[in-house]
Amino acid sequence: MEAMPEEKAEFEEAEIKYVSYGGEHHLPLIMNLVDQELSEPYSIFTYRYFVYLWPQLSFLAFHKGKCVGTVVCKMGEHRNTFRGYIAMLVVIKPYRGRGIATELVTRSIRMMMESGCEEVTLEAEVTNKGALALYGRLGFIRAKRLFHYYLNGVDAFRLKLLFPPPRQELSPSLDT
Amino acid sequence: MSDNAVSEEASMDGHPPNLASIPASDSTIWADACPLLHAACTGLRDGELIHGDNFNLFAAMSALEIMDPKMDSGIVRTYYSIDEAIENGAAPIPISPDSTIDVQCTIDIMDHLLACEAAWHKGHSLAQTVFSCIYLLRLDRTAPHALLHSYCRVTRATCKAVVSVVSDARTHEEEDLFTMIYGLPLNGDGDDKCLSMLNAVEETISRQLRACKAASSKRRLPEDLEPLQSNPNLEEGFCKALLCRLRFRKHFFHILACMKRPQGRGLESARKHIASCTTELESILKSADFLRSCFGESCEGDINDKTTASGREPIGFDAMLNSRLSAPMPPRAIKILSWKKAVEYFVKLLHDLDVICSHSLDDHLESLLRFVVQFQKSQPDLVARSHLQLLLVQDGKLYGRDPFFAVITKAAALPEASKNHDIQKNESILQLGMLVMNLLKILCTNAAWQRRKLGKLLQDWRVICVQVELAFRNAFGEVSSSSNDENVCMKIFQHILLWVEEQTYWIAFRFLILGFELELYSTSEYCMVYWYLYAVLIKLAEKTHLKMTVSYDTAKRKGKKKKDSPKDLARESRIPPAVLFLQCYICLAEGLTMMLAALRNEISVFQSPGPFNTEQEKFAQHFELLQRACIPDHVSYPSYKESTTHARFSTLAMYNYFKDAQRIVKEVKSSFSNDPDRLSELRKLEQVAEHNSVAQNLICRLGALDPSLKVSFEFSHHPFFPTVVVKRS
Repeated sequence: MEAMPEEKAEFEEAEIKYVSYGGEHHLPLIMNLVDQELSEPYSIFTYRYFVYLWPQLSFLAFHKGKCVGTVVCKMGEHRNTFRGYIAMLVVIKPYRGRGIATELVTRSIRMMMESGCEEVTLEAEVTNKGALALYGRLGFIRAKRLFHYYLNGVDAFRLKLLFPPPRQELSPSLDT
Repeated sequence: MSDNAVSEEASMDGHPPNLASIPASDSTIWADACPLLHAACTGLRDGELIHGDNFNLFAAMSALEIMDPKMDSGIVRTYYSIDEAIENGAAPIPISPDSTIDVQCTIDIMDHLLACEAAWHKGHSLAQTVFSCIYLLRLDRTAPHALLHSYCRVTRATCKAVVSVVSDARTHEEEDLFTMIYGLPLNGDGDDKCLSMLNAVEETISRQLRACKAASSKRRLPEDLEPLQSNPNLEEGFCKALLCRLRFRKHFFHILACMKRPQGRGLESARKHIASCTTELESILKSADFLRSCFGESCEGDINDKTTASGREPIGFDAMLNSRLSAPMPPRAIKILSWKKAVEYFVKLLHDLDVICSHSLDDHLESLLRFVVQFQKSQPDLVARSHLQLLLVQDGKLYGRDPFFAVITKAAALPEASKNHDIQKNESILQLGMLVMNLLKILCTNAAWQRRKLGKLLQDWRVICVQVELAFRNAFGEVSSSSNDENVCMKIFQHILLWVEEQTYWIAFRFLILGFELELYSTSEYCMVYWYLYAVLIKLAEKTHLKMTVSYDTAKRKGKKKKDSPKDLARESRIPPAVLFLQCYICLAEGLTMMLAALRNEISVFQSPGPFNTEQEKFAQHFELLQRACIPDHVSYPSYKESTTHARFSTLAMYNYFKDAQRIVKEVKSSFSNDPDRLSELRKLEQVAEHNSVAQNLICRLGALDPSLKVSFEFSHHPFFPTVVVKRS
């Protein structure tokens, strides 16, 4: 059977509603998105670990009541630095390329910054051009390359964003 | 291991065994926990979790591994034990009552095993690859089948030898799946005799080959041999297919044994076996046509994806069998390399091993380092890299032969006698020896891990620099002594100190350029990277030149006192070719820095402010380890800004560093006529310089006028100096 051409959803960016994780009713939405799009199956305990301990760091994107994207994060002390970690980021295919992932991640990072994180980190496959471009635009550098990080033999980059020292002014573009 | 208890209960239809029959012991009883669990389920609401002091959400998350049958009882497997698989006919002996099919299937097993072995070398676990072979898991039961038995035994012994090499090298931190062998039957009694078993089988098949050749040419035979299989038309093809496979195993085993011999004594013999091994691989490849065609079956799917030459699925393998056993095995299924790719892997491995065996055991550290760097360019895999490391560092000596102090004195251009000097007992000199040894080991690891380790090394080398200098000052203070021995001592310290400084900058240089190979820098970061590279190269060139000048002076003073001839004076003032080579790098780095700075300052699209941080944070992150070690001194973000903030197209037009680079290349080429690697690199540098010079002129002329100018940086000629490509959209 021939592959159908990918259908792009039609919408105005203003129609996307961004919501902070609000409770158990959001959990199945997040799980469905992540299970559908990412290759690693996670147990429900993995999801609960993140959203219970750091609910303020997870966000969902809705379009007309349908959940189209999510970001799941954590933060904590790691070798004398207070560091944020982006664990999962998903936007369903028809809604990609319109800045939803960027907005989700930005909200989470902003929250991390306000909570006192010194840096944010995550891993991404070296072949994931989309993710690398997204995080690159937000100021992440490729701090390390991890050889054969994934079981399929693909390497990963450890991406890191270092916040400036707290007293520095944020760039005007951040204020919306 | 409770495997026996489980197998007793194994049912024939593949359902999980009845666990209630596990008996209680003297100190245990069984208690029904169902009521308690039921109450807990009723009592807990959605989203609530029972937790205790030792069991929190993190523990809950980490405790479960989805799809791992050791934890995930929902995962069904075909067989629950090796015995059950065997009882169900998964690995028959003989493989078939029909001798022709038996031979065919044996060859398929051999091919699939080779593919498994290659998959293992490439980074998967032994349990999921080579030991997915049921015949290997129970080797003794294959004894009646001499061919299969000897082949499996040699394979097992080979795997054990390879595990030993990689374990000894201990540079496999991220590749540690390779050496996980717990619970796998890797040790066999009598495996050391595996070659004689293999030779016996090889001999038999050789005779059979001679016999069938004689029969086809209608000559009479003295021997009355039983043929390999029942179809006389296929006898020759099968004999040949088997012989090359057996001989490949034999020679490969010999290679490992030869390369293991201390102080590189077996390298020449290893090369002979490598050559034979390569020949046998070619024969193995050639046998594929015969094996595919001999029964006229067409295989489903793409032959290139198959793990056997014939394209048939092999008998006797179950990739998930080990997942319930104690062997450490990742739960996800993996894809075994195709047979073609497996052969390609071994061809490359043999080539890489040959390069190692051809090494002249040079005790000049500088050329040894260049050899290792050059070797790494072909991206050798773990097995090859481990062999190199074990050759270089044995028993705390270079090649197991040269103490590292002797290596250092030679590298520092000291006279031969210095290597026996007592100074080697000095604490900081001893530590220096360890650092050199570690450096060599690290240079043999994969590029990603290597760069991280080199970064950490910078601090150690900086510290040793300081320590050696301190030891130097403590020994001699400010007063120059007239004692001859103390003069010698001073000379040794001085040379070593210079050499350590040079070596430190060399490590910094490697650290920075590996970032290009690993694709760690984005284009918007190139400016600061080339600027930092420029700063490091300046110091490296300075230290190299100083070391050479000092060693030249020392050599001159040792010689008989005579008037300096004009030639000597000229040689003294001439910059050594090695330093000129570095100056070529320096010109290119400077040229690129200025061009990138001008582009960034003039064209807005080259600026990339992020919402959360600035270039300063990126600078701090990329160069953190260098900054911490003060390599070089007085280099910082403000000094970077100062150097680059005034760059404009107009200033760029004033000086063309790329032309300088071109000039230096022309001047220095002849000095490297005996060094093909460096000559080749010089040619590449020349191309980069030429292209970039033109690009710079174009940018200067058009840059201000044409804001749609597209400038890109491609590493098409040289691995860490890009060629600038200018396009108008």
